[in-house]
Amino acid sequence: MSAEELSSSASSSSDETLERDPSFKSAEGGGVDERLGSVRLEDEGDVEESRSDRVEDRGGEAVVESNGHGGDEGECGEESLVVETEVGDASGDLGSGVGGDGAVVERDAGEGDGDDGGDVPVLKTAEVVGSEVVGEGSRPGLEVGSEWRRNRTRSNSEIEMDDEQSPSSSGYAGERGSSNGAASSASDINEIVEDDEIREVGDVDGANGGIDSQSDWVPGKRHADEDDASISWRKRKKHFFILSNSGKPIYSRHGDEHKLAGFSATLQAIVSFVENGGDRLNLVRAGKHQVIFLVKGPIYLVCISCTEEPYESLKGQLELIYGQMILILTKSVNRCFERNAKFDMTPLLGGTDIVFSSLIHSFSWNPATFLHAYTCLPLAYATRQAAGAILQDVADSGVLFAILMCRHKVISLVGAQKASLHPDDMLLLANFVMSSESFRTSESFSPICLPRYNPMAFLYAYVNFLDADSYLMLLTTSSDAFYHLKDCRIRIETVLLKSNVLSEVQRSLLDGGMHVEDLPTDPSLKNRTLSPRVGHDSQGTFRESAAGIGGPSGLWHFIYRSIYLDQYVSSEFSSCLRSPRQQKRLYRAYQKLFASMHDKGIGPHKTQFRRDENYVLLCWVTPDFELYAAFDPLADKGQAIKTCNRVCQWVKDVENEIFLLGASPFSW
Amino acid sequence: MGLSAVDNVSEELQICIFDLRRGQYEGQELDKILFFFPVDSPFSVQLSVIGLSEGLITFTRIFSPEASCEVIEADKHSHVFYEAEPDIWTVMIVMKDKELEAVWRTEALRKVLKEIHSLFKMFHGSIRSLLEREPDGRLIRSSLFSFIMDYLKDFLVGKKLHLPSFRDSLQERGTVQMLTVGREAAIEVQSLVKTIEASAGVPTCYSLILFQDLLVSSTLHPEDTINLFTYAILRLSPHAMSPGVRSWSYLRKGSGATHPTVGTVSTSSSSISDVYGSLSTSGTDRNSTFRPLQSGKWARGKDPFLTTDIWGLEDGASSSRTPTAWLQEEKMYLCAYQHKSLTLILLLPVSSISNGEQGITAVKHQVLENASVKILKVEEKLSKGWGGENAYHVAGYRYLLVDGDRHASRASPPGKVTTLTKESLLALNTLREQVDLEKNRAKWDDPHKETNLEVSIRAKNNAWVIARLARGKELYMVLEKANETLLYASDAVEKFSNKYCNGAFSLD
Repeated sequence: MSAEELSSSASSSSDETLERDPSFKSAEGGGVDERLGSVRLEDEGDVEESRSDRVEDRGGEAVVESNGHGGDEGECGEESLVVETEVGDASGDLGSGVGGDGAVVERDAGEGDGDDGGDVPVLKTAEVVGSEVVGEGSRPGLEVGSEWRRNRTRSNSEIEMDDEQSPSSSGYAGERGSSNGAASSASDINEIVEDDEIREVGDVDGANGGIDSQSDWVPGKRHADEDDASISWRKRKKHFFILSNSGKPIYSRHGDEHKLAGFSATLQAIVSFVENGGDRLNLVRAGKHQVIFLVKGPIYLVCISCTEEPYESLKGQLELIYGQMILILTKSVNRCFERNAKFDMTPLLGGTDIVFSSLIHSFSWNPATFLHAYTCLPLAYATRQAAGAILQDVADSGVLFAILMCRHKVISLVGAQKASLHPDDMLLLANFVMSSESFRTSESFSPICLPRYNPMAFLYAYVNFLDADSYLMLLTTSSDAFYHLKDCRIRIETVLLKSNVLSEVQRSLLDGGMHVEDLPTDPSLKNRTLSPRVGHDSQGTFRESAAGIGGPSGLWHFIYRSIYLDQYVSSEFSSCLRSPRQQKRLYRAYQKLFASMHDKGIGPHKTQFRRDENYVLLCWVTPDFELYAAFDPLADKGQAIKTCNRVCQWVKDVENEIFLLGASPFSW
Repeated sequence: MGLSAVDNVSEELQICIFDLRRGQYEGQELDKILFFFPVDSPFSVQLSVIGLSEGLITFTRIFSPEASCEVIEADKHSHVFYEAEPDIWTVMIVMKDKELEAVWRTEALRKVLKEIHSLFKMFHGSIRSLLEREPDGRLIRSSLFSFIMDYLKDFLVGKKLHLPSFRDSLQERGTVQMLTVGREAAIEVQSLVKTIEASAGVPTCYSLILFQDLLVSSTLHPEDTINLFTYAILRLSPHAMSPGVRSWSYLRKGSGATHPTVGTVSTSSSSISDVYGSLSTSGTDRNSTFRPLQSGKWARGKDPFLTTDIWGLEDGASSSRTPTAWLQEEKMYLCAYQHKSLTLILLLPVSSISNGEQGITAVKHQVLENASVKILKVEEKLSKGWGGENAYHVAGYRYLLVDGDRHASRASPPGKVTTLTKESLLALNTLREQVDLEKNRAKWDDPHKETNLEVSIRAKNNAWVIARLARGKELYMVLEKANETLLYASDAVEKFSNKYCNGAFSLD
């Protein structure tokens, strides 16, 4: 990245903060009632300029539905025009300061960032943009990208009436209106689906029966009609809140944030009361309930849960929710609070309910949320190699990260030299893309922030779904790289089609991963390939006699996490764990086991054996790997240990297929 | 040693007792506070503590009406809550400090609060009843003040209060420790109990017999047994009464009790006596200041019964009043008799002794006449069979066995537990914390269901840390010199279970 570009990107990030501020100020100045709708869009254009269309859409959406959020923004509009000149002036002064700040941030991001930046080719022809838009007007996503780019080339003071812009362009079409309009209908469905999440007194165990499986799950806002006065709301098993340090609600999993203002203020009061005493509040326990607090600068995150999850797990979940917020906004949102303590952040996150609810849902089924590792789709070594090779090609041309995924599993990924991607960032990014319906319908170019990579700066993600399940994400530091990335995608897609990677992916989806019933019973019969379903006889495996009892020695399930690869593999659920409720319970048991093994003060422990009424659980932590295995509660200890050894051997035998090996960018 | 000795040492501990029904109006919040330690804390600090506590009690009730705030964990402090009586809360705030070994188990701290309240209630009656008797709160404040300060002195080691920390993970407060006796001795004890209760000549009469610091027999309600046993260990047993003799009981950890200095309570500022009333023992209102936990106050009297002037002197006479205690809502005379290592406590309902001290003297006389030979015999028998303070040591094991049904526990002798490394004890402390959570949770889910659980952890230092819950019993164990396999550790537990727990934790 040239110095010029560096400074421009730095100043654009400073613009972003500067520009948002006026709206914050105005939010403070005026009440919610003041609405200046006509200026609103201009304001949005400004406010979001460096942030992409996404937020513009959100503003639009708010206006379409009601005057709710829109009003806030609208009122900002007028003032922002005024303030903007001030800001413009100020940026003269601040420019160096803030810009410098930005540059520092860039450096903070690591050498990788800087180095890679140098390779980023920048497409700058506005004409091309225009023609693309016309040519592919039917693909709203593209339009977005281009629209967005056009916005970026405009000066700060230049304002455009964008309300005719395609609503789906943001990657938020799916959840459009979910916070209000759609929510009411969604909540009807939710009522049915999640009703049993309300604890019945005396029938606690009956709660959650079979509701939370991935397929049953309905995305979006939960129970928007409820507030803290509703009994049903109080009985929800798990609440998540984001609020500002002035007590303004930002997000609530259940219920309407605006109605929860009083409750939010209470949470804030509790946190600051303890802070004023020179301490920091972490946890309050009451009967089956835990209230977990996480303070991140001006942002407070709170979880209220009566699930049996340990404190460490719930705290980790709050960290991820915060990370998801940073992914959407970057940490520079803190500056808004520095300038205006009463800043209302809800409009900035408007429409992202679905991203958070999907993340929260993953806390009850996705082991990546507590293992801090990612998982790969099982594929033949050659197939993954083929995918990796083409991604590597692209990465060499200035892409920071090229990630090919199928649902939540990685097919292959490649990073530019020295750049490493944290598994938590992958989880949050995949959740962001997977939960937003519009990413599926169009190619998109969206600013995102990887909180573990650099929480202060935006990267730009080109996202394209290659089929219903598989999608490609190309990440770059350059805001102008859309057409280059589009070209890359075309090249990649062509190669993937030619080499049948995508059809292999579909087949792997059908076959599933490791089945405990296939665990080789005789260690001498090395089962070098993973899937006996595909051209492998079942000799030496347990499958035939195993109907209903899982694998050998009562093995029901296992998770193997490779420490140095930062990857894990989770077996398919055996027939003993067919119901979603059983699966969720096992997931929670693993979560507890993980927390207990990784105690901050004294861990990690080496081995743990645990027998309760539901399972025998065995955990084995070594410097190379961690194994978590679940057995029938009556399983024999000695047999279980032997079986664990065989599982480890089996995983090693098929590691070529289940892990992404030798991924060069991972140099940690 | 005056009570102020305790005040000065402790910035790392706060204890607060407050009544949510008092001080409802703004400006009257101080009226809620019945006790605060350290006593000379500024009112602003006291108000801040009850403010937060009350706030969180109210807040948690939104979601958890059946059980409000139990613990607050902050970076630097833990706040442990215990609702002693409806709307009367005790809160303990301890400072966390890894360096200073201030690593606690919440449940262990809560049991301290529970013990304070149970003992207080045994001697003074319930806090609510005292408040009803004197609504201005002076009586309850002065009673709580002297009582808790006396109690805390037992935790004083040097200039520091040693609350139960991770080093005490192989102990269980609120349980009794039993002496194992042979069949023959058991029959004799049984016969002694019958003789005593028969010779008391009153319709109901209870007894509690201890040998050294161990319980031999009790005919009391289990709850009363625990309270009286605890009190006996703290103040009545031969160890408690002989200054300088080292006790192995964890209840008597501090040196405070072993160097008793009779003195009046000194208070460090006038505001304290304003709040808590006059604390001088020579005060005229003996009820407001009597201090059942004051150390060094029990002695052998002219008859072999133990005497104390804690309960004051008989009107117009020089002899002491007989102590009384509330057991299951009934006021009882408490007569303690000691012969060598044997301590016998006799409890007689006040209502059944018509002529007060005279009646008591008659009963004592009667009991001695009928039972003294048996007492000698039983003491002799128990002494012979007694294996010393390491009697319950099992080589290779460091363990704690808790029998929930009998409220009894047995553990490796503290002297042996100190050989364990800090890492092992920390790991055990954490494991016990997890088990506590699971037990509490199971209790909420289904109070009648037994938790069955087996957890074996091989810690970073290669020690096996084990918890087993089965059939209402709990076993916690640390095996430091065990072979590295899980099977070896399981086998060791199995052997222990078969040999010492009647197979309670064995698989079949």
